[in-house]
Amino acid sequence: MEEPEGNGKWGMVVDMDRCTGCGACITACSMENNIPFVGEKDAAYGRSMQWIRVERNWKDEFPDIVTDFTPLMCQQCGAAPCESVCPVFASVHSESEQINLQVYNRCIGTRYCGNNCPYVVRQFNWFDYAKDMPEPLNYQFNPDVTVRRRGVMEKCTFCLQRIRRVEEDAKAQGRPVKDGEVLPACGQACPSNAIVFGLLTDPESQVSHESRNARALQLLLEELGTQPRVVYLKALRSPGSLPVK
Amino acid sequence: MTTKAISLPQSQPREHEQEDETREHLLLDPRPRSELNRMVMESMLTTTPVFKIVLGILGLLAAVCLFGAWIYMGLTGIGVAGVRRPSYWGMFIATFVFWIGISHAGTFVSAILRVFKAEFRRPLTRAAELMTTFGLAAGAMYPLIHLGRVWVGYWILPYPNNRWLWPNFRSPLVWDMIAITTYLLGSTMYVLLPLIPDAAMARDRSTGWRYWFFRILALGWRGAEGEWQRLRTAIQIFAFAIIPVMFSVHTIVSWDFAVSKTPGWHSTIFGPFFVAGAIFSGVSAVGMILFMIRISMKNMDYFIRPEHFDAIGKLMLIFSFTWAYFYFNEYLLAWYGGDLSDQYVWQALTKGDFAWLWYLMLICNVVVPWLTLWSKRVRRTPWMLFGIGFIINIGMYTERYLIVPGMITRNRFPFMWDSYAMRIEPVIAVGSLCLFLFLYGLLSRFIPLIPIWEVHEGQVATMLRRIGKAKVPTISELD
Amino acid sequence: MPEANVHLAVFNNVDPASEAIVKLRELGIQEDEMQILSGLPYTSEMLGRARVWSMIPKFSIAGFLGGFVISLLLNLGSVWQYPLHVGGLPLYPIPTTIVVTFEISMLGLLLFTFLGVIWECGFPSYGKKIYSKEISDGYIGLEFNCPADLHTQVHEALSALGAEWIHRTEAVDL
Repeated sequence: MEEPEGNGKWGMVVDMDRCTGCGACITACSMENNIPFVGEKDAAYGRSMQWIRVERNWKDEFPDIVTDFTPLMCQQCGAAPCESVCPVFASVHSESEQINLQVYNRCIGTRYCGNNCPYVVRQFNWFDYAKDMPEPLNYQFNPDVTVRRRGVMEKCTFCLQRIRRVEEDAKAQGRPVKDGEVLPACGQACPSNAIVFGLLTDPESQVSHESRNARALQLLLEELGTQPRVVYLKALRSPGSLPVK
Repeated sequence: MTTKAISLPQSQPREHEQEDETREHLLLDPRPRSELNRMVMESMLTTTPVFKIVLGILGLLAAVCLFGAWIYMGLTGIGVAGVRRPSYWGMFIATFVFWIGISHAGTFVSAILRVFKAEFRRPLTRAAELMTTFGLAAGAMYPLIHLGRVWVGYWILPYPNNRWLWPNFRSPLVWDMIAITTYLLGSTMYVLLPLIPDAAMARDRSTGWRYWFFRILALGWRGAEGEWQRLRTAIQIFAFAIIPVMFSVHTIVSWDFAVSKTPGWHSTIFGPFFVAGAIFSGVSAVGMILFMIRISMKNMDYFIRPEHFDAIGKLMLIFSFTWAYFYFNEYLLAWYGGDLSDQYVWQALTKGDFAWLWYLMLICNVVVPWLTLWSKRVRRTPWMLFGIGFIINIGMYTERYLIVPGMITRNRFPFMWDSYAMRIEPVIAVGSLCLFLFLYGLLSRFIPLIPIWEVHEGQVATMLRRIGKAKVPTISELD
Repeated sequence: MPEANVHLAVFNNVDPASEAIVKLRELGIQEDEMQILSGLPYTSEMLGRARVWSMIPKFSIAGFLGGFVISLLLNLGSVWQYPLHVGGLPLYPIPTTIVVTFEISMLGLLLFTFLGVIWECGFPSYGKKIYSKEISDGYIGLEFNCPADLHTQVHEALSALGAEWIHRTEAVDL
């Protein structure tokens, strides 16, 4: 079966200097992607399901405390360790958008992908959280995105529904996708524009520009060979919190 | 110079003593075949009320704790278990590895010992092989139990469908599925083959529904030359072929962990380490089962003797060394120059939340066997070996627990470090243990647990031969 | 053959049984008209007979090769038909193919060995057969087909060796 021809490699640049740790990206992502509320008890148990998290690490002592914020979402790895271990092909690589897909219908819930993700960005539906939403709260669901039931893994999709909508509109109008036309929910909500999104294969796009930024940039856990699509610009005020190598 | 005559003490006639000593050995204490048959039939047919009550309780516990809790979890969601991010796998998978490990005992006793022509295996092979079959049955349920959507779990099987989808053969879980299916079918066939002549014997000595049951199982066996020769050829092929399958099954289970990128799991030594651990816990479980058979069935103290416990005890000690060797390997490498992420994992195990389990494991797996199993007296005492085997199995379960939920709580992002707590998992684990014991106890009254033809063959092959003044046991090769 | 000519002589040891075979051969009874039934496996050499022909190793090899072919079809064929890229791994990786192929080939080997035994022995074969319950009690049965005129000679010869004689055996339900 032929994959439809996509536009190229989508990527993201996150500027850790601009990130203020406000959490707007988390809220926007939850609203856009129908992420369920797990309740107080389960959240305390570590089961909250936000697809993007802002890692907050403290340095030094009061009153000179420095906080480092690292927004972390699925890195859409080129050689994703989560894909090869799924026994039923629920986690596959998209040829057209070059991102990592999670197929909710196919997932049987072995959770191997969750273990194998070195960035720990995958979430699992431990219960039917969305089932008991009292009316009219269920009207908040985004009709473009599936509401997942229990037993299924999920993760950030680079707002694939937005990418697809823009691509289809552009195709209908017979033109290529313009840079900046696609913005995932997190990028749209960020008040300091710390998240830039676009086609890495287009050398003129803003994201390609930023990824060539002279400021020391890094790919998280690059030495693991996962080939992530998210480039992090280091904050000038502090080295930024690096993951454990 | 005169030489003083020194009178030597009279050398006692030693032959009688020697005879008594050797009669301790099963193969040197022959009885007529009809007597052996009668003893085994009697052990199958005799049940005490206590046995029936215990079996009933086990069955009830299995139904409620295993199937009841599983159905409840299936209807409510995996959230009733203790797993969470980042420990997506928890006690279910640790118990799964434990059961697959127990199942290696049977193949070790009946295949490897048969290949090496170790005579002491003769009465033990069927009891051990049944452990393999039921251990695999208990273990094979766990990949289904821990699935998020168990009702579509059959998608992992390769079958043509209109979604044009096959399972991902590059995934270790699919290898698990294939390996466990192979091992389960293989060990079931390996139990059935030597059972045919014994079923024929039981058919000849039964009436009523038992007669019909054994008649069907015996497939019309008569003991003709051709039948025996073909059976023995097949058993030989099975013995040789099932050994690599046994090694590969637990290696493939270990690759579930070793091929991942999790620090602590990604270790090249996991394959042999898991196999050694499996045989270790399996052989200890054989010791436990033999003791339970001896005390719960009539006439079994004729067949299962202190010499067998002695041999099992030596194997337990040897595999304790092997396990300790592999485990020290792991620890040394991480401690000496491992990546920081590896070192954090081992620190959590040895100094952090899991430290008490770490010390428990070392005491159970190393200290207790190394202090006790040297003594021949300890090894030949059945209840002592049962106790040591029980302690070893606790230690081995703790080792799997430390590996599965223990190590994955320390990933590469300290912000995401968390712990693991048990919720419904112990209930289901206890249920699976009760199912194992229930099936084993039930089947002990339906099929003869001792392969009588093999014991008889051993008794025919073993005799006392005089060399000088001593009578030594001599074993002939009958094949 | 009329059932009246089939006899079963039961011995309590393998020595007189093997002597009896020699005697029967001397009296002119053919090899394939005699058969030993026992509760223990005695080799053909012990009984002084020719080895029984068996094709089980060939069954095993056929099973191995069958499993090998099926595993290649599953492993490589399914990906060739419906290619899906996962994790940066090649579509036809050799190491994973080795693992799956080994397991399925061994399954084929074991399964076909088992089926080979069942097939060659003609199992399951219920119904009336020449048998005696003493055989599973450790006695050795010598089943043979002798023409009526040799009857008394055979009887004499075998009783001299200590046979427990079972005349004109009725076939027992097995």
